[in-house]
Amino acid sequence: MSSTSTGSLPPGAGRGGGAIGGGGVGGVGGRGWLSATSVSSSGKRIKKEMLELNANPPADCSAGPKGDNLYHWVSTIIGPQGTPYEDGIFFLDIVFPCDYPFKPPKVTFKTRIYHGNVDSAGNLNLDILKDGWSPAMTISKVLLTIRSIITNPDPYNPEISSIAQLYLRDRAKHDEIAAEWTRRFAR
Amino acid sequence: MSDAEEAKATASSPSAACPMAADGLDDEVSSPFQCCVCLDILYKPIVLACGHISCFWCVHKAMHGLRASHCAICRQPYVHFPSICQLLHFLLLKLEPVAYKRREMEILVEEKATDVYSPQFADQLELKKLHIGNGSSSKNFKDCRSGDFERSDLSENRLDHTIKRNISVDDVSCSLCKEMLYQPAVLNCGHVYCESCLSGLSGEHLQCQVCQSFHPGEFPNICLDLDHFLEEEFPREYAVRRDQVQNKKAQCQHVNPSPSAKRKQNPMAQVPSRGNDLWLKEDISDVHVGVGCDSCGIYPIVGKRYKCKDCKEAIGFDLCEACYNSTSKLPGRFNQQHTPDHTFELDDSQMLRNILMQRGNLIHIPQQGPEVIYVPSDDELHDHENHSDDGSGG
Repeated sequence: MSSTSTGSLPPGAGRGGGAIGGGGVGGVGGRGWLSATSVSSSGKRIKKEMLELNANPPADCSAGPKGDNLYHWVSTIIGPQGTPYEDGIFFLDIVFPCDYPFKPPKVTFKTRIYHGNVDSAGNLNLDILKDGWSPAMTISKVLLTIRSIITNPDPYNPEISSIAQLYLRDRAKHDEIAAEWTRRFAR
Repeated sequence: MSDAEEAKATASSPSAACPMAADGLDDEVSSPFQCCVCLDILYKPIVLACGHISCFWCVHKAMHGLRASHCAICRQPYVHFPSICQLLHFLLLKLEPVAYKRREMEILVEEKATDVYSPQFADQLELKKLHIGNGSSSKNFKDCRSGDFERSDLSENRLDHTIKRNISVDDVSCSLCKEMLYQPAVLNCGHVYCESCLSGLSGEHLQCQVCQSFHPGEFPNICLDLDHFLEEEFPREYAVRRDQVQNKKAQCQHVNPSPSAKRKQNPMAQVPSRGNDLWLKEDISDVHVGVGCDSCGIYPIVGKRYKCKDCKEAIGFDLCEACYNSTSKLPGRFNQQHTPDHTFELDDSQMLRNILMQRGNLIHIPQQGPEVIYVPSDDELHDHENHSDDGSGG
């Protein structure tokens, strides 16, 4: 039950603190400015986000550590009203890298969802989780972005192009299937 | 509603209990000087040319080792790692002495672990200099120092208001006009000026009047967080300063209408800025991956890299060609014990071209952009490669 940092290590931390910096490329001395990652600072930032999320949770979203590991969270998003996903409860897995927030968290859907931007393994194509990431971004903002992409799919950057095409060609059919999937998998 | 939420918060997160106080997680969330990266109070603040503030390490860790970096808040590109803004550093030390000291201890632990240190400032000495420089009473100085020490002893007793009384206009004055800052802008060297004072400077390149170093890149934006703080903290003085500056501007325009006003808008417009398109136009094979210049802060160094042979620190001490040939030698960015009698050598071990050739698994040296680089066997380069994609993507 204790969530203090002892024992909760980020993925890859076992390789030693200098996984990113260190002497990988350089010779002796003068390794340059490539920084070694600090586990304690990422843990502190994640804890701060956890407190902030508990105090001001974004609409229809929740998130928190899965167990003792601070770097592995589980999150839920409730399907927004007025969409074929409404009343569905979608579980997401969030894994923080050990150099968070300088690298984005990995977010995957655990609940199946019929959506052009989410592939069958639950991966979602979201710019802010890739190149568009900024260390000023928080999980709260990420969840809100995911919620908005559930409401407004982006059919022009699809993970599953058949769904995106159906969305463009026959919106009613698309919504019907999405609602059916929501009933089957997300209730 | 809010009670219930609070109860839920405390119930669902065991960490909301007492050990947090030691971690500083319950500290001043409302502070205007919160870092957007670590979500804690700013420590050794750095102001980027876009006017946004972050901690020394938060800026450094977020910088890109292979190409231009971007502000975490507004994504404005930059290639120079600015020096710490000492005015803000000492201001925060006075405003939030307990939280600031806590941060100092925490950061020191991390720095010891990685054996790389941020610049250290001798508080008292510097403070004294600051105050004498501004011709203020040393009594004021003594008072607030002793106040600080008492406070750090009884950290449970919050006396923030008494502390706030201790900051005076002298703590936030312009290096040039010596009056309270109005619409402050911070140069790459960390010195702070009123924007109006900076744009009044003559000369082709923006040069700091305190340390004489040249400001590279674009004319800095106003640091709005500091400006808002001044407006709230010293409303009367702020109003006076605003009137002064506006009057002066009006006069200038009256006497000498368009040309000067136009120039003042962007005196550095002629200086080529190295922004987003940097790597699209230039050959990147002579980039020194992850090596920054300890004088001007350019990161990474492109072209010749001069490495100090005598500095023993893990992070080393390096200069870019321009700084090596210039006369001004500033202290290192990471508290290196570099002295002028140290000798330099040209070093290209970190040069991208050579790294790739050593690995032997890349035949084609990229001319267009970093997205064609693919070095799968190496963690470090792989890391850069991931990032490089966004240069072309968006």
